[in-house]
Amino acid sequence: MFCLDTYLRESEDYEIHMSRAGFKECAKFIEKNAKEFVRVKAGEKIVGARIIGIPPIPIGLDEVECTIMIPYTKPCYGTAVVEIPVETEEIQRIKTLAIK
Amino acid sequence: MKKALILLGCPESPSQTPMAVYVTYKLKNMGYDVTIASTPSAMKLLEVSDPEQFYITQKTDIESCLENLDQGAYDLLVGFVHRDAAVSYFVTFYYILNTSSIAIVFERDAEELERFINDIENNTNATIISARAYHNPTPLRVKFDKTIKTMEESHVLP
Repeated sequence: MFCLDTYLRESEDYEIHMSRAGFKECAKFIEKNAKEFVRVKAGEKIVGARIIGIPPIPIGLDEVECTIMIPYTKPCYGTAVVEIPVETEEIQRIKTLAIK
Repeated sequence: MKKALILLGCPESPSQTPMAVYVTYKLKNMGYDVTIASTPSAMKLLEVSDPEQFYITQKTDIESCLENLDQGAYDLLVGFVHRDAAVSYFVTFYYILNTSSIAIVFERDAEELERFINDIENNTNATIISARAYHNPTPLRVKFDKTIKTMEESHVLP
């Protein structure tokens, strides 16, 4: 099963757009900079990990590059915006989680 | 037996550890089976504070707790909120569990405290206990006791 923590530790194929920030700043960054985005409930599983934050939580989608942009929160480090590559199927699955 | 989950934040604030032990003591006396979810560093502080595990008997890592959490797994959520990340964690646990919840919100900076209170108030129906606190846990303890007593008397607690 995919583990986001392990992926970020062991892979170099990701981009951190913001770090040690507040959740709201990160949410605004995703809404402003992602090619498109959907909003999901708190606790939804995205690439196998529960998304943490104040709902509705924006998830950035790039269907051309096959990447997603997500807020990533740790208790002592605040929230970061991380962009990671995913399978096309995961982008389609995330779209089905969208709330208004 | 009723089950309560106590959610701890980053352990940098000195008030968190003694309040976590105190809240566990109070809830156990009220008949709750108490589990504490925290980071490994916050757990180390608890383990040293309660060496014979007199109060803290069930503990879990916050990340694995979150990954395996289901709606209704606990009857009561008590979360410590003293950082922006702790607001996010509390709100997320609140939505997944969908149960009675108490947020213990504290900060030494008044503006930050107000921001955390507003975020919890605007996004949950949790009962909020708040105080400007950092080193001294007494304001939080006093307010926690009063709130718990009121909730018990009005049969709001599960």
